[in-house]
Amino acid sequence: MEAKIVVKDLVHEYSDEYTGQHVRALDGVSLEVADGELVAVVGPSGCGKTTMLNILAGLVRPTSGRILVDGREVKGPGPDRGVVFQELAILPWRTVARNIGHGLEIQGVERGERERRVRQFIELVGLEGFDHKYPHELSGGMKQRVALARTLAANPVVMLMDEPFAAVDAQTRITLQEELNRIAIATRKTILLVTHNVEEAAFLGDRCFILTRRPGRVKRIVEIPIPRERRQWKTLTTDPEFTTRREQILTLVREEVRGGDE
Amino acid sequence: MATNSGSPGRVRRGLRIPWGMLAAIAAAVALWAAASRLIPQADLYLPSPAAVWDAFVDLLRKGVLPDYVAASIRRVILATVIGLAIGVPLGVFIGINAKVADFFYPLLNFFQSLSGIAILPLVIVWFGFTERTILVAINYTVLFPVVFNVLVGVRSVPRIYVNALRTMGASRLRIIRDVLLPGALPHVATGARLGMAYGWRALIAAEMLVGANGLGFMIFNAQSFFLTNRIILGMLAIGTLWILIDRFLLRPLEADTIQRWGLVQR
Repeated sequence: MEAKIVVKDLVHEYSDEYTGQHVRALDGVSLEVADGELVAVVGPSGCGKTTMLNILAGLVRPTSGRILVDGREVKGPGPDRGVVFQELAILPWRTVARNIGHGLEIQGVERGERERRVRQFIELVGLEGFDHKYPHELSGGMKQRVALARTLAANPVVMLMDEPFAAVDAQTRITLQEELNRIAIATRKTILLVTHNVEEAAFLGDRCFILTRRPGRVKRIVEIPIPRERRQWKTLTTDPEFTTRREQILTLVREEVRGGDE
Repeated sequence: MATNSGSPGRVRRGLRIPWGMLAAIAAAVALWAAASRLIPQADLYLPSPAAVWDAFVDLLRKGVLPDYVAASIRRVILATVIGLAIGVPLGVFIGINAKVADFFYPLLNFFQSLSGIAILPLVIVWFGFTERTILVAINYTVLFPVVFNVLVGVRSVPRIYVNALRTMGASRLRIIRDVLLPGALPHVATGARLGMAYGWRALIAAEMLVGANGLGFMIFNAQSFFLTNRIILGMLAIGTLWILIDRFLLRPLEADTIQRWGLVQR
């Protein structure tokens, strides 16, 4: 079966706004994400992973290369790709329920159906009773749950996540990672997750793509053949199958970080 | 704005008697009364509070004061409504595109600082001593702070909100309606308040030079007849009306949007 996301020879160059220098951010990245798979992309900061995600989202135009989502060429932003951003991207003047239903509203889903779907996803991310709260009344972790639910409710073909848990505290992050794992099981969504957090990549990824430092290229692919049902922080941290992979990824990323410092 | 909106002090705001303000007014009137006693020919140079009160009662009875107050208020409200109706869409339109916004920014800043009083002579050349001249001058005065602030408001909406909507497949119109307009709302309120404040000043000046009624006309006309008590009565009316408009209409409007949005935006 064909992969849900196909990225072929992606190159991105831009001229730096301040220095005027020509920068090559991505240097021929290719990757594929199978149906229902969660692929984590890790790399040192500045390796172009966020740029890659923005290109996939259709917000940035690549210099060259092809992207296919569900067999269709990506030419701009579209509801087939749901995005969860690192920064808080839910609207402060909309309640939780109206934020979550926003994608459906844009798609023209009629009200009754919309409310039913919103309720379903409020439950999925554990925000029952917060329907009519505004984002400023929520904790950081809850806000990110709203963002996640908004993306899922619109039922995209694939979900793109850019450092979605980077802005929350460590304890919340662990909870959210386990929840995302649970949601991945429940929805069977195809997910591409960009992160600089090696633990997170190893915990969530079916496969992990390690990018080199800038200009970003795929350095190595590490498979993490641990069934989703077994992925619980409590037991996984002592599971050798997990720890060896985690160390392997960590070593690969460290090589790039160290190289970058020299 | 940083304080919690749920504090009890805020809830009672409308009911509290403003003792501080009343004391300040009482002090000012006492000082005025004393000064009036010390000045020779006070009726001409600085009439006493009692003399101004007499003018107030007189003009109230004749119906002149209510007529002029109504005329001035009608003009400033009309100008504000028109200013918002033109200024908000214009500000959004200019603010959508960063390049267009950068182009217009200095121009808008220039015209915002060039008060309606300064363009009044030119407008008189165009339209003569007519009602239209007054309206054009204060419309101009109201418009620029509105456009300028809406523009700044639209530019200040975090880019990430726009991008989030684009990835959900939203149209440009939808982005304006769901993101840019609500995001700019506190600035719209600020623009309306500033515009109306500038407009009120410009209006009094325009009525002095052009008007056949209104508070500006009243005080300018009184000067010809050396009715100093009417001049002071007019000044009091101008200041008092503004305080009432600001306190009971504009401030609550601005505070509510800024409070809600400002608290919300982080």
